[in-house]
Amino acid sequence: MSDLVLGIGDFGVSKDPSTSIKTYALGSCVAVILYCPTIQAAGMIHIALPESKVNPARAKEKPGFFADSGLPQLLSALTKIGGPIKGKGVRVKLVGGASIMDKNEIFNIGKRNLLAIKKILWAHGLGAVAEEVGGTISRTVSINVSNGEVKIFSAGRGNWTL
Amino acid sequence: MTSSQEQFVQKEIQKISLPSANTMRLLEINSNPEHCLQDVIDLVKLDSALTARTLRIVNSAAFCPLVPINSIDRAVSYLGEKMIVGIAVTESCGKILNQPLEGYESPAGDLWKHDLFTAFAAKEVARYAKNGMEADLAFTAGLLHDIGKPVLSKLLENASKTTIDALDHGEAKDYLAAEKLVSGVEHAEVGYQLAKYWQLPAPIAAAIRFHHNPSEAIEEFQPLVYAVHLGDIIAMMSGYSTGSDSLQYTLDSHYENFFTFSSNELTKIISDTETAFRPALESLAGKEEN
Repeated sequence: MSDLVLGIGDFGVSKDPSTSIKTYALGSCVAVILYCPTIQAAGMIHIALPESKVNPARAKEKPGFFADSGLPQLLSALTKIGGPIKGKGVRVKLVGGASIMDKNEIFNIGKRNLLAIKKILWAHGLGAVAEEVGGTISRTVSINVSNGEVKIFSAGRGNWTL
Repeated sequence: MTSSQEQFVQKEIQKISLPSANTMRLLEINSNPEHCLQDVIDLVKLDSALTARTLRIVNSAAFCPLVPINSIDRAVSYLGEKMIVGIAVTESCGKILNQPLEGYESPAGDLWKHDLFTAFAAKEVARYAKNGMEADLAFTAGLLHDIGKPVLSKLLENASKTTIDALDHGEAKDYLAAEKLVSGVEHAEVGYQLAKYWQLPAPIAAAIRFHHNPSEAIEEFQPLVYAVHLGDIIAMMSGYSTGSDSLQYTLDSHYENFFTFSSNELTKIISDTETAFRPALESLAGKEEN
């Protein structure tokens, strides 16, 4: 099995059943993972921040860095490889959005990312069927394109399936 | 720490090569609040290897000047002091900062990325200082803040699960305390011992010792130490971490005594840090030679 590895702000889609889409070390960043079982297609995006208005130039160069500029592009990319136009039947999973060990709201970017992502998903008629979000752990996540299985790894805590 | 653990740490510290004399001189210049860029230029001119590397990097695809830069004066001005420090530290300490940290389940290269991101984040945070501060010194201290990890990693080998368990079972309040529980010492203390062995300037040594407990630093160095504390946390939040200890530290909210920024300004700090970090990482990693 080959890995399609996404960096921060990257997104990717695949219909190749021998591929796994993977992204490393989600801190407050969030991975939105899409799976379309009818055509065995998967997509993932590694979102760092909620709103592109803080750096429009960065959003132009790397739209996936922000929820508002990246998520519509991921949905569009999935449609281009045969996914449903309005996302009907797409399974959505969310992973990441952690925070530092403190109640300081200024530093809770993970929570802000999740709220922004859910708002955009709702606007597209989508919602998450499973989440592994929040807390204070860093997560690496992958999806197996052939069956949609989502696996999470955290150093010192091992692997588990979402 | 038992005497055998103490001996192990001291032995490992003495195995690490000292940074070059010119790197040490550059760190001293950088720590002196009275210095100017010309001091940095004069030093680079004395070091042919640093001069060659600086000229290669300034003309690389990552920085792409409009016309080729052939003078060291212009190259240093174009890149800024922080990049010269980055180049010198990469040359001198790259070997130790690029090694895998088995004790943290962290692959080779992750510590260097974490340090570099922390450096840029600390520099961005410095822009929000209530009373102004030396942003380039915050960068340098950020770059060196975790030098204790490669040494402690050897004491923690195969212990990342035990360390995490100590945290999860409430036996330790954060990863620093968990490290101490498992190995008898924490990475910040080991880093401080290495800083003393290297004779690093006092403000940088303070940032290494207290980056997780900034309120314990002497008052004079607290703005710098808090900048590194925040830079370190921002790096972990942004996914640039060193394995099992990622996000397992406490934010000291007293940073608000020295810095003021909103949640939106924090997202700008993160975004601007990422923008500055990328070309620096590529060029320091030698991609300009491809």
